[in-house]
Amino acid sequence: MPSAKHLHRPSWTLLFAAALVFVAALFLLSMAPREAEAGAPPASEAQEQPRQTAGSENCLLCHEDNDAVVVFPDGSELGVAVAGGVLDSSAHGIHADEPLACTSCHSPSRYRFPHPPPEGESVREYELIQAQRCERCHVDPHITSHPGLDSDTPVVCTDCHGAHDVATVEAWEAGEPVVNCVECHVDAGVEFNHRLDLRHVIDEGLFAEEPDNDYCLSCHSLPNKTITLESGETLPVTIDEARFHDSVHGTDNEWQLLQCVDCHEGYVYPHELVVAETLREYRLQNYTICAECHEDKYEATLDDVHGDALAEGNEDAAVCTDCHGAHYVEEPDEPRSRISITCGQCHGTIFEEYAESVHGAALLEESNPDVATCVDCHGVHNITDPNLAAFRNRSPELCAACHADAELMAEYDISTDVFDTYVDDFHGTTATLFNVQDPDAPTNTAVCFDCHGVHDIRDPQDPDSGIKANLLETCRQCHPDATTNFPDSWTSHYQPSLEHYPLVFLVNWFYKLIIPATVGGLGFVVLTDVYRRLRHRRDHEGDDRDD
Amino acid sequence: MTTDAPPAKQKVYPRFRLGARIEHFITMTSFTILAITGLPQMFSLTSPIARGMIELMGGIQQVRVIHRYAAFALVAGSVYHLFTSLYRLYVKRERPRMMPVKKDLFDAINLVRYNLGLTDAHPKMPKFNFGEKFEYWALVWGTAVMTITGFMLWNPIATTNLLPGSIIPAALAAHGGEALLAVLAIVIWHMYNVHIKTFNPSMFTGWLPHDQMEEEHALELERLVGGGEAWPTPPPAELARRRRNYAIVSVIAGALVLTALIWLFTFEETAVEFVPVVTREVFSPLSATPVP
Repeated sequence: MPSAKHLHRPSWTLLFAAALVFVAALFLLSMAPREAEAGAPPASEAQEQPRQTAGSENCLLCHEDNDAVVVFPDGSELGVAVAGGVLDSSAHGIHADEPLACTSCHSPSRYRFPHPPPEGESVREYELIQAQRCERCHVDPHITSHPGLDSDTPVVCTDCHGAHDVATVEAWEAGEPVVNCVECHVDAGVEFNHRLDLRHVIDEGLFAEEPDNDYCLSCHSLPNKTITLESGETLPVTIDEARFHDSVHGTDNEWQLLQCVDCHEGYVYPHELVVAETLREYRLQNYTICAECHEDKYEATLDDVHGDALAEGNEDAAVCTDCHGAHYVEEPDEPRSRISITCGQCHGTIFEEYAESVHGAALLEESNPDVATCVDCHGVHNITDPNLAAFRNRSPELCAACHADAELMAEYDISTDVFDTYVDDFHGTTATLFNVQDPDAPTNTAVCFDCHGVHDIRDPQDPDSGIKANLLETCRQCHPDATTNFPDSWTSHYQPSLEHYPLVFLVNWFYKLIIPATVGGLGFVVLTDVYRRLRHRRDHEGDDRDD
Repeated sequence: MTTDAPPAKQKVYPRFRLGARIEHFITMTSFTILAITGLPQMFSLTSPIARGMIELMGGIQQVRVIHRYAAFALVAGSVYHLFTSLYRLYVKRERPRMMPVKKDLFDAINLVRYNLGLTDAHPKMPKFNFGEKFEYWALVWGTAVMTITGFMLWNPIATTNLLPGSIIPAALAAHGGEALLAVLAIVIWHMYNVHIKTFNPSMFTGWLPHDQMEEEHALELERLVGGGEAWPTPPPAELARRRRNYAIVSVIAGALVLTALIWLFTFEETAVEFVPVVTREVFSPLSATPVP
């Protein structure tokens, strides 16, 4: 009677044991907290009052609360207790068209007190005999490929359907009794002899409809369920139903709750065996499922750094589920720091540098909504190799996205001159031209991050930033021969004025005056010459007419 | 050399010898290339035309290379001009007719007055009139500014070894301003005077027709008509001696200057060729990927 033990009513001995355990747990709390928890539930279950089936009262007088056992000739024992509520809530219970009483199955002629000795040599034999009684009413039971009474290991109706607790149709559809299948074929490891036959029966008959989440979760919500892979790694297959329903694919999904079989397409019980040898292999076999719906994102990743690395055989390369998770997918940018933390899972050292930077610190410590996260510079599903010339050439544009935005920068009191002055300078002009005209050509022109750092960008005034503190060293990265005066040849993002770089300011003004003056002077003389020639030509024409 | 004049409707007069025409050709070519490769750099951020020109010339790197070759040609041409000037002044004993004199100022004023109809007398001007002197000295000034600032921009490390760093952005400002000034002056003044007003063939043929001589160089015309020589002819013995002296000095000095010039154009390694790519281990997992 596989399922009966789950539903038994606690006896005095059990309650006493529970109380003992509970008291023991108080003493051993620090060493064995789990024992205390396990001991508690039976005490509360004991308070439930079962409902009774009409006509069974007499039987239940003895059988409802009785810790007596029947001892079979082979020594096996069977408790005689049957909780009244169990039958009531079963398919044969008070909701059935014709509710059964105890004696409907246990023949009235033989089951009166005192009872005759039970048939069979053992509990199992007793079960096999009793199960024959189902066919009194169920004259045409559905076929299964389970072995019959003539086999060494027969499987009978009650093994799957239960005895007193026969499941209702609704309960079968909800998948609850699938637990029974699991008990033999998963937990006890009984092999499928006619696996494909069974599949056919299941598909055609019992479970023709696609299984819903409750069906799958009837097994997969059981705690700590794992599959041990060939590598020795364990693949957890327990799904936290609440977390799944809270995920973006869960009950708040704007489409609808995603069904297990939407991703695990065609899965029914019993499952195909997991063929992956390692956890990583399993993940790599399954992440493409995401592409069924998110095709554009998936396609983009095929050409990005992660996709390329994977194609080259780097199995560490991130796939969809590495960043987003599989069952518990949450908004990837909620909160915003989640973005960079996600990248940090694999790019740990870079993340640590970033976390110390102006951007990272503001994001992680102040939840700043504006600072750059990883994806603002690197992209999301179309991440390119940042060592490529194209990335270098485009990088000032990335910085400019924020640092040339006057409105945004005003909030932080950062001048947008920083970008304009860079672009006006030799380095910036070159980088800009390359980005526009020849983005893939390698250049030696300095871009923002060559001086300010990449992930470890700090306030330039910060002595640790290394920019202001020793500009010459910064310059020497590219200009190894530079000497003391050299750094001043860069205007440090200042627009030239009388205060900053007055020489540049004055030269500019000189030409602002001298160019119009020269053009004006020369133009004046030219115009007087034009005037004279036009006048002479007119006079000449006059002469011609006079002639 | 001065006798076999090309056939012409008008009588023509000698104006430029071959050497001067070669110098002009070098300057004209290098100046044009410098302008075409330089101005688009100056306006590349603001003008799509400038960017189009850069792209047409093979990209910014190539434009800069062309610009520097042309700069070498211009500077070498200028040095060559110094040597030929020395030859004319020392060997040929020509008068320094390019030097501005007070009369040039009056010529300018009088020409404007004449143009405006304030006087009927067209000023009689010498072989090099005020406009040409202005242009010549503007070219000298401009070439000097462009050469010096260009050198600084090309060799910022050597420059800042000696001078404060802010000289570099100042040089950039001056290089751009002077370039614009020079190009505008050429377009307005030179183009008008020798192409638009009346085409002046003398810089290519060496000869100038009578009418243009009369209008622009009346004094020179009178001198030539009066039997004056276009260029002085020193006594042969004296000429030979000075030529020999000049040859010795100019060959030695020329070799030195040319060597110095090539060195100046090539000595500095301003920057590394490519910014080194910093490769690093990017995969450093902090936590295992969550399952399921």
